[in-house]
Amino acid sequence: MGASNPDLATPSSANPPREEEYSAGLWTLAWRRLRADGVGLISLGVVGAYVLLALLAGLGWVAPHWSAEVGTHYAPPSWMGTSAREPDFATAPQPVWPGSVDLYGLQDPLADLLARIHTEPGASLVLIEAPRRTTLPLGADKWGHDVLAKTIQGGATSLQVGLFSAVLATVLGTLMGALAGYWGGKVDDAFNWLYGVLTAVPYLLLVFAIAAVLHQKGTSTLILILGLTGWTGVFRLMRSEYLKHKSREYVLAAGALGASHWRRMFLHILPNTSHVILVQLSQNVVGFIKSEVILSFLGFGVPVDAVSWGSMLNEAQNELILGKWWQLAAAGVAMAVLVTAFSLLTDALRDALDPRLKS
Amino acid sequence: MPGMINHLSPLLVFLLIIGGFFTEPSLAGPSHPGDEAQSVPALKVLHLDMSAPETGFDPVLTSDLNTAAIEQQLFESLLTYDYLARPVRLVPRLAAAMPEITQHGRQWLFHLKSGVYFAPDPVFKGVKREVTARDVVFTLMRFMDPKNRSPYRFLLEGKIVGLDELARQAQSTGHFDYDANVAGLQIVDRYTLLVRLKTTDYNFGHAMAQPMMGIVAREVIQAYAGDTASHPVGTGPYRLARWIRSAHIVLARNPNYRHEQWAFKAGADPQDQAIVKAMQGKTIPQIDQVDIQIVEEPQSAWLSFGKGELDVLGLSGQFAPLALDGDHLKPALARQGIQLARMSDPSIAYYFINQQDPVLGGMTPEKIGLRRALLMAQNDTEMIQVMHKGQALRATYPIPPGVAGADPAYVSLLDYNPPLANLLLDRLGYRRGTDGYRRQPDGSPLVVRYTTSLSSQDRELDEMMKKALDRLAIRFASEKLKFPEILKAERQCQIQFRLSAWIADYPDGDNFMQLWYGPHTHENNASCYQDPQWDRLYEKTLDLPDGPARSALYHQLARLLEINGVTKISTTHIRNVLFQPWVVGFKPHPILPSVWSYMDLKPASSGTP
Repeated sequence: MGASNPDLATPSSANPPREEEYSAGLWTLAWRRLRADGVGLISLGVVGAYVLLALLAGLGWVAPHWSAEVGTHYAPPSWMGTSAREPDFATAPQPVWPGSVDLYGLQDPLADLLARIHTEPGASLVLIEAPRRTTLPLGADKWGHDVLAKTIQGGATSLQVGLFSAVLATVLGTLMGALAGYWGGKVDDAFNWLYGVLTAVPYLLLVFAIAAVLHQKGTSTLILILGLTGWTGVFRLMRSEYLKHKSREYVLAAGALGASHWRRMFLHILPNTSHVILVQLSQNVVGFIKSEVILSFLGFGVPVDAVSWGSMLNEAQNELILGKWWQLAAAGVAMAVLVTAFSLLTDALRDALDPRLKS
Repeated sequence: MPGMINHLSPLLVFLLIIGGFFTEPSLAGPSHPGDEAQSVPALKVLHLDMSAPETGFDPVLTSDLNTAAIEQQLFESLLTYDYLARPVRLVPRLAAAMPEITQHGRQWLFHLKSGVYFAPDPVFKGVKREVTARDVVFTLMRFMDPKNRSPYRFLLEGKIVGLDELARQAQSTGHFDYDANVAGLQIVDRYTLLVRLKTTDYNFGHAMAQPMMGIVAREVIQAYAGDTASHPVGTGPYRLARWIRSAHIVLARNPNYRHEQWAFKAGADPQDQAIVKAMQGKTIPQIDQVDIQIVEEPQSAWLSFGKGELDVLGLSGQFAPLALDGDHLKPALARQGIQLARMSDPSIAYYFINQQDPVLGGMTPEKIGLRRALLMAQNDTEMIQVMHKGQALRATYPIPPGVAGADPAYVSLLDYNPPLANLLLDRLGYRRGTDGYRRQPDGSPLVVRYTTSLSSQDRELDEMMKKALDRLAIRFASEKLKFPEILKAERQCQIQFRLSAWIADYPDGDNFMQLWYGPHTHENNASCYQDPQWDRLYEKTLDLPDGPARSALYHQLARLLEINGVTKISTTHIRNVLFQPWVVGFKPHPILPSVWSYMDLKPASSGTP
């Protein structure tokens, strides 16, 4: 609400408000425009639902036990019914009690301990396998994990990576763009040089290089990698915005009134570039979700105790060839819907925030 | 031969071709399927894949199966194994005949073939360089040169009279004297070498048949000192024509290769008759070039084979359901003329735990119990079914079937038993913290680091290990290294826990048991296990031939490895090799890492598109 953009405020003041006693702000106007955009609203709903589901999954309220092996090996989706041809895998044989194994005359330093355990009451040494379901709503993977639960948890990971790395990239890009554009000169040269170097390297190659250097797997590593490589687009746009705005009258006026550089950069100019930031942010979310999938697909992604759509698609490459398509379908559809919705939402946001583009 | 197998199943994998259809453009010139009238016959190119990158082509420095497969073709050892005979049988290669063994296996007299020349190389300045007994002595000495740190030093260590003394002298002076006269390596004449062993050793012939025992020329090794791995110059049927590291290797005929004729005899296997009929009397080699791509993902290899871009495919377990019904080829593939060769590998996959590791190593009951619990939590049945799709056998004994000393009835002390493993950990003081994970008895955190390579199958290994550790409530950490880096780290005792694999270099149990011998630390003893009790028992087996006495000692050795929580034997792989209809004379060999020079390809005109 705080933003006062002279350009954007003009149309609304030409159209006197009826119910409000004051001129509607940037965000109110943007929301009004967005509300009028059916596709944008639906996209917003879809993205909202994903975020909500991801939040619930992250909190452990939905699909907390994705790693439980509830189904049989590649149990098919329920509507397909059980495939009679799938061989029934034998469970592990009951173990031989170590005390009864021939030691060929050798001493076992744990023999006494084993003997005590053997005579302990209540110490159950029988392997008990929980019964497994032969079908699941969206089928099971090779270990018997529920693909539906995996898809939901994978979505949480993918969204987390996408959102956080996009925020990181946007903050970095905005800061550097602001400094470069506002100060110009040597500062600008330095940032441009960094930008030039980073963009000269093919994107995926750069990501691999950083992944190889960090040499550590984990969701936070992934966020760092994507954030540290993904700020360049934001930087370029923000730099040009600051170049444009710094000589505008309202900034000069603020300077004449004694506002510090810091104040001019972040309190005066920044709000007037917020539409660029927001659009870049949502574009980056889409890009980074896809990058996470690619990285995980190539084996640089999430660690083995986490699941993401990328790791699911990575597993699916070998499953598909065996005719087990359900994991690929679940992760692929879930991701396609989110990415499409996010892209449409980005378009709608851009239209809503920057009406000049509408023509 | 090759010792280490890459990861599990894509173990042995070689690969393929297109019967002269496609040939390397730069090497073969234009060739088109319809162009039969061409006056120059198209080159026969065998197209193969390897599941892991090569590690360089200096035989003394390498120990992995893929590299050994190539070295088998570049270099020649004194002896080798008959292509068709099963069980495998030693036959001469560079030797003119089998050695004369006297003094109860202590004296071995080798006669070399005359007129054997090294492949051309600038070092020889255009002169054809003949192989002599002196080259054999130089080659053997290189294994004992401390500078080479050869992983296969164990093949000669402590065996040849005077050689160990020379190595010790080199250790102190920093210089190995290759001109020294070693009493155990007596050059009788230009083509005759008398080897004197310190003790009776009937396995010495197997050692002389290893691909890494391929004879090299001293002037070549000295001229390329420091970079010998990129300049292989041997006497084998092929030489290295192109090499793009970790990506593409092309072998081409060695122009100096002597005239050898294909003359193997059919064994009991009915397929042998057809092979003999097709190959009898042909000149070795028939195939002009061997084109090898490094393909780490089994799926890529499978798809390439399906398109006819690979001629031979080692079928990894995960694709077995696509190609096989049980142990037979699917009818659809059989109709295309694709052929299947199937055998149980003389190999084991085994877990090892580094005994020198600060967290897992040590001989206190707490550490022993922890290691045994870790090994007892591994579900090998599930691994065979889910990962290998049934194309592996549960193994319990360090010596696999088909190798002298095997015992398929051996009962493991470390059967899959998570309830017992957990009770052991409870009693030994590994209490669970507030996060649900166990701590060390002194309260410090407990994390187990498991090392695997980078393929999708390695991710399955990670998942299996994560499941196993979850059963014990122990934290899991994954270490990802490229395969050659893993081998390097193993030799430096830096791997904590790994599922490794070993395939017989030669078909004797000693080749497996030596994997845990204390002095082999920094060579093949990746568990860095140094136990005087074990080592003493092992040393006793060295003087015994295969038989009940040695077998009794081997049983104690195997049991001791389990008692101390060093190793658990996991599986033995079933090798399924598919080959295209135009591949002729191919039969996989349990010991030889490659048999390319014994094969042939039907000309392109009769191949299928």
